[in-house]
Amino acid sequence: MRRVYLDHSATTPVDRRVAEAMLPFLTEKFGNPSSVHFYGQEARAAVDRARREVAALINARPNEVVFLSGGTEANNLAVRGVAEQNAGRGRHVITSSIEHSSVRGICEALERRGWEITRLPVYDNGIVRVEDVRAAIRPDTVLVTVMLANNEVGTIQPVAEIGSIVRERRAEGHKHLLLHTDAVQALGGMKVEVETLGCDLLSMSAHKLYAPKGVGALYVRRGTRLTPQNVGGHQERERRGGTEAVAFIVAFGEAARLARLELDERITHVKRLRDAFESGVEQRVSDIVFNGDRERRLPNVSNISFRFIEGEGLLINLDMQGVAVSTGSACSSGSLEPSPVIRALGRDDGLARGSIRFSLGKDTTDEEIAFVLEVLPRAVETLRRLSPLYQKAQAERACAPA
Amino acid sequence: MSYSETFKDYLANPRNAGELSDADAAAEQSNPVCGDRLKLSLRVRGGRIESARFLAYGCPPTLACGSALAEMLEGMNVADASRLTRQDITRAVGGLPARKGHAAALAVETLRTALSKL
Repeated sequence: MRRVYLDHSATTPVDRRVAEAMLPFLTEKFGNPSSVHFYGQEARAAVDRARREVAALINARPNEVVFLSGGTEANNLAVRGVAEQNAGRGRHVITSSIEHSSVRGICEALERRGWEITRLPVYDNGIVRVEDVRAAIRPDTVLVTVMLANNEVGTIQPVAEIGSIVRERRAEGHKHLLLHTDAVQALGGMKVEVETLGCDLLSMSAHKLYAPKGVGALYVRRGTRLTPQNVGGHQERERRGGTEAVAFIVAFGEAARLARLELDERITHVKRLRDAFESGVEQRVSDIVFNGDRERRLPNVSNISFRFIEGEGLLINLDMQGVAVSTGSACSSGSLEPSPVIRALGRDDGLARGSIRFSLGKDTTDEEIAFVLEVLPRAVETLRRLSPLYQKAQAERACAPA
Repeated sequence: MSYSETFKDYLANPRNAGELSDADAAAEQSNPVCGDRLKLSLRVRGGRIESARFLAYGCPPTLACGSALAEMLEGMNVADASRLTRQDITRAVGGLPARKGHAAALAVETLRTALSKL
């Protein structure tokens, strides 16, 4: 069966060049970077090379890059690490209402331990307002954590503007105020430069960048102090204990190098296909709503709500025809959990339940998009034929005066 | 979460979808918590369900259970239909994940409401 993968925001396939770069580090180059002998130094050199590549991708210094297991760990080290380090200076954290579940979960855990969390709204375009950030900062605020691009609708947040505010406040004496951004989705989909953003911490994950799962990094600006969450090892300059996953780090380094060289080309490619996809859907399917700002968003993401049907049914129907997508809504134990991100955009439950994310990749082809445009309208039609809501709407339309 | 092939087939190729214009009994029930809806219409001749149709909105188990229910009702005696249980419907769709049992419950509830109108 023909299969089309449009779920690159969930994970990406490992690029062959990346796999080739990492393979020797699983077999003959197996040393522990902490060892003094030849094997150890060979591994150490490879980790350092990878660190330079990841740093170059975000325009940072190599020693500002801390390798760890992935985006969730990066977010934990950043948010918990800063909160714990600065607990004596203040216990207030500002975040957005559409963060990835890892940041949401960490903030909830902090809240249970006595921190105060301000969750900024995103309005109907899925973007935080800079004025809201400015107004939310208090003397006891220790951290602002706002994602760079949202994982469900792809909207790009004004992190650089927030960075200016944070720097301004620091210059005015609010020395302990820091800015973290979760750039897991943004990396590879837009130019990410820590100086432009003005952030102190930035989370990255390799598997969204055509490298394997199990490795990521946290950018920690020089001079930024945070409490390590993995203690008991001197690795990563005491910021993350544990033997480095050398092969995976090498893979991340190679993926970062390729992303830096190919970024413009990848962006142009996915944007052209995504736009063609969206206009194709608009022509073929009625009663749809695009979620999130149509301009300020990642070039490879399209999030669409299909009225009168539910996302998971559409997902399974598409999957049976070979098309892999994702939905943010879930229904379990009879309690409905429509996507919190789509709800935060002010959409009603029906639209939040019927949302599907299509996320393209650098290797997505015109033929694949054409195939999805052939399959999708049929799948929507199949489900709408079953939907009492659709039948009712059709009957009302038939009765309405022309 | 994984669904059986039988289950997925009900989603891709739903059977008995629609509404009967000459139904002898019809019912629409919804799950007040999650908003899932199921509509069932039946045509009965001589104590036997001659035709059954369903419409459903909601999560995949609700759609699959609606389709499986309508399919199995056709040709069934009303007395037998009134004895159908959640387990019968769950079996017909090839099983349901533990947390999705409410879909079969909604199907049984809709069936009983419809039969009570005969």
